Amino acid sequence: MKERIGVYVCHCGGNISDYVDVEKVCRAVENEDGVVLARTTLFACSDSNQNEMINDIKEHNLDGVIVASCSPKLHLATFRNVTERGELNKYTYVHANIREQASWAHSDDKTGATEKAIHLVKAAIAKSRYAEPLYPYWFEAEKTIAVIGGGIAGMKATASLADKNSNVVLIEKESRLGGHTAEWGSLAMTDEKGYELTERIAGDIRNRENIFILTGAEVISTKGSIGNFEIRIRKKPQKEGDPSEIMVMKIGSIVVATGYDHYSPKDGEYGFGNSDWVITLPEFKKLVDSSTGKILEYRGMRISNVVYIYCVGSRQANGGNSYCSRYCCTSAIHTAIEAKKKFNGIVNIHLNRGIRTYGKQELLYAESLQMGDLYLQFNEESLPKIFVKKQKMVIAVKDILSAGKELEVEADLVVLVTGMVPRSDRSVGSMLKLPKGRDGFYNEVHMKLRPVETVIDGVTIAGTCQGPKNISESVNSALSAATKSYSLISKGTLETEPIIAKIDQENCSWCSKCLNACPFDAISKEAVHNREVAIVNASVCKGCGMCTPVCPVDAIDLTGYSSKEMMSMIDVLV
Amino acid sequence: MIFLMEERIKIEYDALVIGAGIAGGEAALNLANTGYKVLLVEKDHSLGGKMILLSKVFPTLDCAACITTPKVSEIARHKNITIFTESEVTHVSKRGQNNFTAEITKKPRYVHVADCTACQLCEKACPVNVTDEYQYGLIGRKAAFIPFSIANPKAAVIDIENCTLCGACERVCPTHCIDFTMETELYELKMKTVILATGFRLFDPLEIPRYGYGQYKNVITSMQMEREIAPTRPYNTILRPGDGKVPDKIAYVLCTGSRDNTVGNPICSQICCMYSIKQAQLLMGALPMADVTIYYINIRSFGKGFEEFYQQAKGMGVNFIKGKIGKITEKENGNLILRYEDISSGVVSEAEHDMVVLSVGVQSNPAVSNIFDAGSLKLDFHRFVAQKDLMGSPSKTSIDGVFVAGTASGPMDIPDSILSAGSASSEAISYLSQPQQQ
Repeated sequence: MKERIGVYVCHCGGNISDYVDVEKVCRAVENEDGVVLARTTLFACSDSNQNEMINDIKEHNLDGVIVASCSPKLHLATFRNVTERGELNKYTYVHANIREQASWAHSDDKTGATEKAIHLVKAAIAKSRYAEPLYPYWFEAEKTIAVIGGGIAGMKATASLADKNSNVVLIEKESRLGGHTAEWGSLAMTDEKGYELTERIAGDIRNRENIFILTGAEVISTKGSIGNFEIRIRKKPQKEGDPSEIMVMKIGSIVVATGYDHYSPKDGEYGFGNSDWVITLPEFKKLVDSSTGKILEYRGMRISNVVYIYCVGSRQANGGNSYCSRYCCTSAIHTAIEAKKKFNGIVNIHLNRGIRTYGKQELLYAESLQMGDLYLQFNEESLPKIFVKKQKMVIAVKDILSAGKELEVEADLVVLVTGMVPRSDRSVGSMLKLPKGRDGFYNEVHMKLRPVETVIDGVTIAGTCQGPKNISESVNSALSAATKSYSLISKGTLETEPIIAKIDQENCSWCSKCLNACPFDAISKEAVHNREVAIVNASVCKGCGMCTPVCPVDAIDLTGYSSKEMMSMIDVLV
Repeated sequence: MIFLMEERIKIEYDALVIGAGIAGGEAALNLANTGYKVLLVEKDHSLGGKMILLSKVFPTLDCAACITTPKVSEIARHKNITIFTESEVTHVSKRGQNNFTAEITKKPRYVHVADCTACQLCEKACPVNVTDEYQYGLIGRKAAFIPFSIANPKAAVIDIENCTLCGACERVCPTHCIDFTMETELYELKMKTVILATGFRLFDPLEIPRYGYGQYKNVITSMQMEREIAPTRPYNTILRPGDGKVPDKIAYVLCTGSRDNTVGNPICSQICCMYSIKQAQLLMGALPMADVTIYYINIRSFGKGFEEFYQQAKGMGVNFIKGKIGKITEKENGNLILRYEDISSGVVSEAEHDMVVLSVGVQSNPAVSNIFDAGSLKLDFHRFVAQKDLMGSPSKTSIDGVFVAGTASGPMDIPDSILSAGSASSEAISYLSQPQQQ
């Protein structure tokens, strides 16, 4: 039982104190049983406050620490570390969330928010009294890293891991490496060819001792967790008719680099499918790249007027994809410039929704304007309409750059500037239980500061599977993911959270309910003293607590969240 | 000047990271967490760069301080990271593979950081008032001061330029940590690789006199507005500086100093659209009765969740007017008349606002090129650090073993800076892992 508890109530600079009377919270809890110290702080997470907490622990001989601040998702680890630096067991630290659960949720009711915060802190104190020291488990981690997806991101992640002397398995579904980038010709900003770039990087990873490349291979199942994943891979047979080969590998960490799909326009979307002369940007890029001579021809017809319609499959207000695909403005403008330089008589007309050539890419936009490309702009309420007039394709557009005039432009070829969509094949994400955002791309732990890590320990996301990116951005993301995966397991041993399910074997009568409830396959049946009981695999158990309530004889307790701790919290709250 | 023989100069570092903003910090942490010894050099008094001074970040609206301070704290106490604040790298020479020597000048802080408790008694005692650079000139500070409340290290500094040497601070300091005998220290240290994370400068709107910045008091920069809405805000509410009135008709002028050949910067700064939309949303929350109008050329909400954030701002009632501001004039009551080409009607219009925020852009910080042997570090057209292999290895520079992280290579937002820092640290670790040539 803790008898010397310190409580810190955070202003969060105003995020909390604008709505919750933090001084009142502090006064309301300072005389609770076991509390010897209660104070407010502007930013509990700041270095200076952390140091103050450590001094307090020593000076006041604290045996329990509570911070009432933001979500534990943000700072549980921060304050556990502070507790540890104060030489207490870090798992005795208790967190109270009075920002997301009080100040932000009840910003319209300051009195209520303050009352609730007081209750939450009192509940934390109740838990703290019974919090037991816990000790993490250490285990050996597999040092091989798997990279799933052999596009530009996956290949760069592979190269960078191999440079750090890791063993890498690169798994690519297609029969060749390079992904979408290998299909591109000239690239914006550098004018290197996409296939040359991918060949350069593929050359760097082929024939290296510590890289094992599997093409025509798919991950069919995964189990285990960080340090000890087991993945099953099916490799397509070399010759048709042969059985496919199944491989099982032990892996320490996984970099997911499964990429994106091109948005494929619906039938009839801007005439797509109805007219042979309505094509997508990737198709047009290939046409420009593969055509020779000074005349651009498509299906036997000479092409002069090229009309580009932007944001096809992106920024759709009603249903569909609401996000911006980021790369398409620059890519379309770059391709238009290429076409104009390469062929005679090209007239480029860009029907756009505001050009987004961010950063240095702006120079391409300026270049295209200088070359005489025409830019007309529409908004989402009045999309361009495409029809045939005197055997010519005509696009009508309400141009906001000329005060909303209805204009008509003739086209020999219409290019739909299509964006990026999440892969239709989401099997890898489902196997690894990676969360997806509303846009369908995989979600990172934190959008600002942790863009390649996921909530699944040991699994990082690289490149466009996380969201639209250009090549350079994908490579940065891939190298970041590789570094995070590498630093996780490079030391060879890993610490696991000691918060796991514990089975009271005396009481357990093996009914298999916990086995069925466990999402991580951490529970197994074992005979102990001739009785069948449940056993928890500590390195696999995530401490999610799914098994605890289903046990009919109450034989399962979750360390760190024991029934005693939870019941005492509930007593305070109700 | 004195030359010190102490522990930290006997160490040979694996990596030198120049700049302790969010990119430099992330790069240093990645290296340190992998077991490498890092020397992190920052010219300012605190870690955290510009991010630590921001209000909230787009599109999550996380409080910037809440997510920056723990990161900074992790950097500050990492056993593999040695930090030099108020220090500049004056010269780096490459002697061979994995062999760099850096000359570093550490300016005196006149305060022994380890002994300072940040009690602020020196601040109270100091009779000298000067403009507070950390509040971007909105208020004043003393010559003996704590840079800002969440600074790291959190300790006093003596601004010797403005100090009158009256000794008042020394007399009140309870721990006797103020020491006017401190001198500039020079170091010559060895390391195996270098990461440049020197960040960016904000565009100075004095370069566009027709916007009246510096002349009209109610024309402020976006960074000043950022401070006005930050948790550690100077006025504890939003005021226009001219007369302390709470503004109710605020205008944003996008592309101030960006996409503008007349100031020599044709490129887009990549962050201003989004931070302006974020500020507009925060202002709508703080001043529910206020009108906020954003004057723009194109809205560039291109990142993850950005377009949705833009649509959300429209839904909240932020006005978006497509049109570049030609000229701003001031009325007698301090209100401002904005003259602009209204694209939707095709005519030149005027609008009155009581406060104008100039959304200033990102400029390069080319000083970094001077520290390397003549011409060896290549810059690009815009004087950002040139990326040798933009598509294949974006953080490689013209010098093998020197990598670039964050906005030192061009405009980018926070997540892109983090990715770029991840990329630079990855390349640095690979470089350190190469078999050593004898």
